[in-house]
Amino acid sequence: MHAAAAPHVHRTGRTDPAVATDRRTVLKVAGAGGLALTFSTALGAPSYAAGNRDRRRAYVLVVDGCRPDEIDSGLMPNLAALRAGGRHFPRAHSLPVMETVPNHVMMMAGVRPDRSGVPANEIYDRALGETRTMDRARDIRTTTVIERLNRRGFRTGTVLSKDYLYGVFGERATHRWEPFPLLPVTDHAPDLFTMEAALGMVEELDPHLVFVNLGDVDRVGHSDLTGGSLQVLRRAALVSTDLQVGRFVSMLRSTGRWQRSIVVVLADHSMDWSRPDRVVSLTAPLEDDLLLAGKVAVAQNGGADLLYWTGPARQRDRAVERMLAVARATPGVLSAHDRARSPRLRLGPNAGDVVAYCRAGWRFSDPTVVANPIPGNHGHPATRAIPFFIGGGHPAAARAVSSTLATTVDVAPTIAEFFGLRGAPRGGWDGVSRI
Amino acid sequence: MTTTQPGRPTPAGVGRRTVVATGAAGLGSATLGGRAAALPSSPSPTPSSREAAAAARHRVFQHGVASGDPLPGAVVLWTRVTPTPAARPGSGRGPRTEVRWEVATDRGFRTVVRRGTFVTSAGRDHTVKLDATGLRPATWYFYRFTAVGQRSRVGRTRTAPATDASPRNLRFGVVSCANYQAGWFSAYRHLARRDDLHAVLHLGDYLYEYEAGYYGAGDVIVRRHEPTGEIVSLDDYRQRHAQYKTDPDLQDLHARAPFITVWDDHETANDTWSGGAENHTPGSGPGGEGGWRRRRARAHRAYDEWMPVRLDGTARLGDGTRLHRRLRFGTLAELSMLDLRTHRSRQVAVPAVDPAVSDPDRTITGREQMRWLKASLSRDTAQWKLVGNPVMIAPVTFAALPADLVGPVDDVTGLLPRDGLPYNVDQWDGYTDDRRELFAHIRDRGIKDTVFLTGDIHSGWASDLPFDRGLYPLASETAGVELVCSSVTSDNLKDILGVPPRTASVAVERVILAANPHIKYLDFDSHGYSVLDVTPARVQMDWYVIGSRLDRDTPATWSRSFATRAGTNKVVAVDRPVA
Repeated sequence: MHAAAAPHVHRTGRTDPAVATDRRTVLKVAGAGGLALTFSTALGAPSYAAGNRDRRRAYVLVVDGCRPDEIDSGLMPNLAALRAGGRHFPRAHSLPVMETVPNHVMMMAGVRPDRSGVPANEIYDRALGETRTMDRARDIRTTTVIERLNRRGFRTGTVLSKDYLYGVFGERATHRWEPFPLLPVTDHAPDLFTMEAALGMVEELDPHLVFVNLGDVDRVGHSDLTGGSLQVLRRAALVSTDLQVGRFVSMLRSTGRWQRSIVVVLADHSMDWSRPDRVVSLTAPLEDDLLLAGKVAVAQNGGADLLYWTGPARQRDRAVERMLAVARATPGVLSAHDRARSPRLRLGPNAGDVVAYCRAGWRFSDPTVVANPIPGNHGHPATRAIPFFIGGGHPAAARAVSSTLATTVDVAPTIAEFFGLRGAPRGGWDGVSRI
Repeated sequence: MTTTQPGRPTPAGVGRRTVVATGAAGLGSATLGGRAAALPSSPSPTPSSREAAAAARHRVFQHGVASGDPLPGAVVLWTRVTPTPAARPGSGRGPRTEVRWEVATDRGFRTVVRRGTFVTSAGRDHTVKLDATGLRPATWYFYRFTAVGQRSRVGRTRTAPATDASPRNLRFGVVSCANYQAGWFSAYRHLARRDDLHAVLHLGDYLYEYEAGYYGAGDVIVRRHEPTGEIVSLDDYRQRHAQYKTDPDLQDLHARAPFITVWDDHETANDTWSGGAENHTPGSGPGGEGGWRRRRARAHRAYDEWMPVRLDGTARLGDGTRLHRRLRFGTLAELSMLDLRTHRSRQVAVPAVDPAVSDPDRTITGREQMRWLKASLSRDTAQWKLVGNPVMIAPVTFAALPADLVGPVDDVTGLLPRDGLPYNVDQWDGYTDDRRELFAHIRDRGIKDTVFLTGDIHSGWASDLPFDRGLYPLASETAGVELVCSSVTSDNLKDILGVPPRTASVAVERVILAANPHIKYLDFDSHGYSVLDVTPARVQMDWYVIGSRLDRDTPATWSRSFATRAGTNKVVAVDRPVA
């Protein structure tokens, strides 16, 4: 995740989620704890009676920022049990840039950022001339599995704890929960409320697919000043989030959904902690370069910096060489890549000209070394390992452990296969079904 | 590994080694008895009748058969022929000989899938080594050789899974440090009786270079080395390889499963480094053993001739001696086998005070191999990154040990300099900058599931590999784990102390474990072997221990098991061995 409060080289044009109230209906339901829940539902969405009567259910629970070893820490017994009883992919990882928005988009789109249009949390928007968060529904330039299910009469739901996720997925799902209450510093809804919404949506609206983001582990990880060795708050969050997952599983069992459901559990990325003195700021050395000064925009993404050449196109090749050289010469930088000549990154032009990763235990902070004070970061390769398993009582979640590589982009084709959806995005899925 | 024993004789001074006469004589005759079976004598034969009898009973295949380095479609096959009685190993004698080889899917060779001929000669010490290609992945095969009218025993081998296959498990025998003079290779015998091994990992010290009578089972020389002197010449190395390959237990194990081997130091000389060795006296003067590079080239040449290994990626001789290599087992595991002797800088002389242990200009891997190893670990090709690691990588430090124990512990492990400060300079602890570079790479790239499989140190260990040992376990992030197998026969702590098992060593183990919380298991007393089982969920090592190495029929019993679960990079105790 990016540093929420961090200023950037250029003004951040963060936009509000564009939720069009005239195209939705609002349903208020009482949550299990007596909490009033508000869901918006697309007009014209099929009712249970009129819609697809398929009894299968798929739930995708993203434990944002969870490291795979944390499932084995003893602090997450519910997740460990769910993993032990299902299909486990221990060789799983996040995909570049190892950030929240692009990996959630990959989960639902089934294609990499060069096709989805969403390579990072923060980009430099050349049209706007400023950096901004990728939180607009139109940022996703492909059809997600949510929409594919909708077209076939399935009902879908999103319960996303973070405001920008709510924004980027917009009105795609049949039913949406707008994260509330948002905590002022972390800008996310606590897992207790998010899970309350997920339980309410499942029990009241019963979508075929529900996509849930649980943000506590990530948000606490970012801000845990005891990160690194102690991680006290982080561990508390692991326990708390695990309890919420346990509630969800209990609900599925008690309501008879378990036997006809799969529960895909994964993270979007993991987490790495840095000391205050291990900060990389590329803005100053870029400004010190005669060619680059004033002509490079930096979109800081915690463990990754995206550099955009804003000068004359004819100087671009030279500028990229200089940006690479400057980045690689800066302490704490693990690697720097010419994005256009690094096809394996598959990030697309929205990711700029140069992608720089920091080393483990470091973080980027631009434009100044104090701009990103958050110890917990991700986006760099050290944070790519994630948990990935498929629980549930449906035979598709039969117990197995596989050494095949699973990534976030595999979720959409998995959901598509589970529901028997034919076809794939033009050009095919970039991921592979894991059932 | 480092071997030191007080009062070591000069190469010619065998008499300075105390040999227990009864043991040596009795066991020696047993060895000779075995040889007599191949070359029997009769009372007062005439020369012509003796020659006729020898010719009639001459065995062409005296050194067994072997296979190694399995790939999905190929495996190295090996044997050695003795076409005439005079064509003894290292003799340089004997005719060119055509050897037929066959590979079948059944032990009765009803379905032969590959066959060919191989011509060998004295120029390669009559060894036969070839790459049998065109095989199917993850398949058991049987192979045999025919020459001079005789047929070899049948060997069994197995190819690796296809690169895109996801095998449910892999199972390896794991061994190291087999000193012929120190005992019987019972560990090999027990491994050979198992029917579940896909391969055997030999992590080095397959043989020892010492002269006959030096470095046995304490003061007992169970079986005397041949040739009798320290091996220095090419013919010496060939004869020593040949002697080891007459051991019936080793022959059985070679015939049972493919081997994947690396050399450590004793395949050349004790404490080898790139420019020499502790047990090498350069020069041509008295006691001189010639130039180091020449000696090492001879050792490597003999290794290439006598071991079922691909040096420089091929089974051909003379095309290079690069030992480090990768072996892929589908998506489940990739094994990177290291050479930590050929390219390393010299061990520091005064470990406790020499800052050179952390000198970035010193290396244990060599720069090219370090780049290669980091690339191996970064590859997204397989889940488990197994590293065949000849010497221990886990950092080991010590609290104060009783002075009387420092020497014996040092003899076994090389871990303790005399003043008790914490360095084993023959292992990665003597090259800390290389370890730091490798661990930083693992951390920076978010690499999980790296398992170092190690020999060398004549003791069993299971350890986490913390990024920051000083903060462990408070900062519990780890680069992976290390599993160390015990020795087949080479001296361990109780052997050197001359005490019964689980007596004096126990206190030492406790001290080491207390001072090194990342080390979860340590057994200073046992000889034996390990079984490594790899599944997508975990890697488990089972330690099996033998009774007395002096007892040819000693049983083997399960001792302990430790596992690392996927994604954790930590070891945990397991209460039972794999079935």
